[in-house]
Amino acid sequence: MTPADPRSRWRQYRAEPGDGADKPELAVALAGSITVEPLEPYLGAYLLSRTIRPRITVGPFNQLPQICFNHSRLLGAVDVIILIWRVEDLFPEMLGRAIQDPQAMSSLLEEVRGLADAVAHLGHTFGGTVIVSSPPYPTYPGFELADIRQGLCGMRVFQAISQLWSERVGRMERVRLFDLHGLVLEIGVRQAHDVRKWQLYRQPYTERLWHDAGRTLGRMIAAERVSPKKAVVLDLDNTLWGGIVGEDRLEGLELGDDFPGRAYRDFQRYLKHLKNQGVFLAVASKNNVEDAMEVFERHDAMILSREDIAAFEIHWDSKVESIKRIASRLNIGLDALVFVDDSAKEIGEVRERLPEVTCVIVPEELAELPALLANTEFFDMIEVTDEDRHRTEMVVADSLRQDIREGLSEEEFRQSLQLKVSVFAAGRQHLARVTQLINKSNQFNLTTIRRTQAEVEALSSAANALVMAMNISDKYGDYGLVGVGILRKEEHLCIIDTLLMSCRVLGRGAEETFIAKLAEAAQALDCTEMRGKYVPTRKNAMVADLYRRFGFEYQPASDEWLLALTVLPSPPPYVEATLDLSARLAAQPSR
Amino acid sequence: MTDPLIELFAEVLQIDGARLNEETSPQNTSQWDSLAAMALVAAIEEKFNVRLSTKQIMKMSTIGRARQALQSMSVPV
Repeated sequence: MTPADPRSRWRQYRAEPGDGADKPELAVALAGSITVEPLEPYLGAYLLSRTIRPRITVGPFNQLPQICFNHSRLLGAVDVIILIWRVEDLFPEMLGRAIQDPQAMSSLLEEVRGLADAVAHLGHTFGGTVIVSSPPYPTYPGFELADIRQGLCGMRVFQAISQLWSERVGRMERVRLFDLHGLVLEIGVRQAHDVRKWQLYRQPYTERLWHDAGRTLGRMIAAERVSPKKAVVLDLDNTLWGGIVGEDRLEGLELGDDFPGRAYRDFQRYLKHLKNQGVFLAVASKNNVEDAMEVFERHDAMILSREDIAAFEIHWDSKVESIKRIASRLNIGLDALVFVDDSAKEIGEVRERLPEVTCVIVPEELAELPALLANTEFFDMIEVTDEDRHRTEMVVADSLRQDIREGLSEEEFRQSLQLKVSVFAAGRQHLARVTQLINKSNQFNLTTIRRTQAEVEALSSAANALVMAMNISDKYGDYGLVGVGILRKEEHLCIIDTLLMSCRVLGRGAEETFIAKLAEAAQALDCTEMRGKYVPTRKNAMVADLYRRFGFEYQPASDEWLLALTVLPSPPPYVEATLDLSARLAAQPSR
Repeated sequence: MTDPLIELFAEVLQIDGARLNEETSPQNTSQWDSLAAMALVAAIEEKFNVRLSTKQIMKMSTIGRARQALQSMSVPV
């Protein structure tokens, strides 16, 4: 693909938005200390490819501090603000002197700190997402990378600025850092710069740089709005190791320090990293189960262990069947799966019969295997939460629960779990996880309203709203934060704006308990009735009759469900339930 | 056969190619603004696999001038 393709895609879209013109647009504003217009088509086309319909505007040239202090006047109403800046544009003379003069160096750092403060101000006053670039290594006299003395002077100045910037921006809650310097490095300083463009248009970069910047920024934006994939289904022979275990035996497999074994080992390292970020790993292999398991247990170069794999399907049935079983076992949709195999035939069959599954074939060039998934947007996540890190352990605990279930009645099973449910007003520390659930829960989700973290944070401190969360544990382990309810208060009416739960915890009394405690919270807010809506989607049929089951009455006129808060519903007797509104009370002055 | 250079200008400027000719310029074409000028240079360099000098870019004030610049680099347009 040449850079011209996204540019013409974007032109076409601008001329003819096509299907879905009624869907809401995402308003993105760009601004920079350089001309940033060349970014627009690349960012726009990338977002379109991720099913986001963007409207992109460009703010005034080289007025970053003014924009930070007056974003609504200079940029209008937008959802995302992207700021691109370079030290040499904003503070050129000081940068030149900083190489020689410690005094100038500290004034320069003072200026950079001032810009950081301005960006922090923008983060506080703007309700959406702010993305700001890291300063790239300066293009300025004294900073020539090929100069034999540059190392001592230029590098020192640059490092001081970068360190200050990343440390400051890292502390800002609603501001994300776009590593422009890293991107220039990745492309190569020479490939990224075009001196003609700098002289003619006041922008220093090649189309190549803008292309990659559009993709990176687009991924950052999409990661807040599009659910990441949740699991990788892996073939074994010639995917996790070289060779065929049934024929080559354990000793004959390629896996270890030397190529090609090294490529498989490095791929496993990346998979382990994914697992630690909360992505499930599963195996779908046509093999004898004893042969395959022996590799996991006895091969000393294996990075992945049995415990890293959340589900095994090792037999001679079709991979299509295996993948379906894995999805149901892990309780995730087929569209949340990535399937990796070396066989074009298997990939073709899965593509054909399970088109929702994302298929990736092991590359012909094995050296490219380790980065096969690293270079994709499949697992882009803004923040990794505790729940993510322990997800596979939770599935393993779940199979313990299933084991004891044998021979018990439903009621006895529920009692034996000793479920503890705590429902509480979400505090600052819960926002990342709450936002994550809001954006990825599909099945047990009554309204499927997606929100960014900034929006959730705004709601959690609003006087007329309550962002509630639910933690669950039982005697086999901790599920963590698995439920979110957003209540809005209008006079004495409490509207259930959002109600969702992770599907892993259903059917054990948690849903009843959650509703009961939300009703109690509504009553504590002086509400006399609760109203909720069921907004059907392709995936949430399982909660179509939820409100009916819990005693709400249907109001055909408004298509809402109503519960009078005269007698509160009570949680099941075998659940230990608590309600805590203190985080909210701390945030609000008392009425 | 359609003229590849006219085709390129038509696509970038989003104007029907029939309305473009050798005299088309920023003065008589509102779509050819400073942003479009940047996009035109990028598109020409990629499509014809050339690198224009800043002098050539400055002189490209009509489609005819752009054609001359390309022809001077032996691009058959």
